[in-house]
Amino acid sequence: MDWLEQELKEALRKQEPSPDFMKRPRRAPVAPVRNWLAAAAAVVLAVGAGGAYREYEGQVAKQKVMLAMRIAGSNMNHIQRHILEAQQ
Amino acid sequence: MTAAKMTWDFDSLVREHQAMVFSVALHFLRDRAVAEEVAQEVFLSLHRNLGSIESDSHARYWLRKVTVQRSIDEGRRRKRQSNVSLEDVAEPISGARPGDPMLQEMLRRLVATLPEAPRMVMILRYQEDLDPGDIAELMNMPVATVKSHLQRSLALLREKLARRGLGEI
Repeated sequence: MDWLEQELKEALRKQEPSPDFMKRPRRAPVAPVRNWLAAAAAVVLAVGAGGAYREYEGQVAKQKVMLAMRIAGSNMNHIQRHILEAQQ
Repeated sequence: MTAAKMTWDFDSLVREHQAMVFSVALHFLRDRAVAEEVAQEVFLSLHRNLGSIESDSHARYWLRKVTVQRSIDEGRRRKRQSNVSLEDVAEPISGARPGDPMLQEMLRRLVATLPEAPRMVMILRYQEDLDPGDIAELMNMPVATVKSHLQRSLALLREKLARRGLGEI
């Protein structure tokens, strides 16, 4: 082993890590493809769920309108009946 | 083997091998914080695979192999590491002497500029004192390739040192 190899052995000697290196919080694992797939799945679910919710809201609104129209129709019939009775 | 025994074994394995794992990653990546992260990941992986470890020598071999792979993976992820060229290394001190800390820092920086395979071969040869056969097995490459990497890397380092007036010291 010549001088350069001796110097390399010294330059690349082992060093100790920080005493607490095993206790530090871990960084988030990097898995680009899996992350991308998870994000895509979340978007699909969100869009799907959003669409379903909007459909549900539409159904509820439609039911409310129908109920309001039935009540209004019933009231109109009642008023019309009173008017007819008064005219007679 | 009981869980308690395995935990105790894991702690002693960390204590015994942490310098090796950390230093392989440090010399390869040239970043203490990243090297500690890599070392942490390697030991957490060891913890998950503790049941398959048969002996201390098996643990050492397993840790070296996983550290080599994780360090190379991390180096690829951090492309900027490979963007440093030999010409970017600071001019060394003239008249350096054997054991000079600045000469050793320059050697570490020169090793860090080598492509990933020869860089890891040099680290395993001079940090871990492994022979070419062991390095070839760890890195899944022919022994002749390991020897070639060693010869070319040493020749390149000698050339760079000679150019800076630091030939035979």
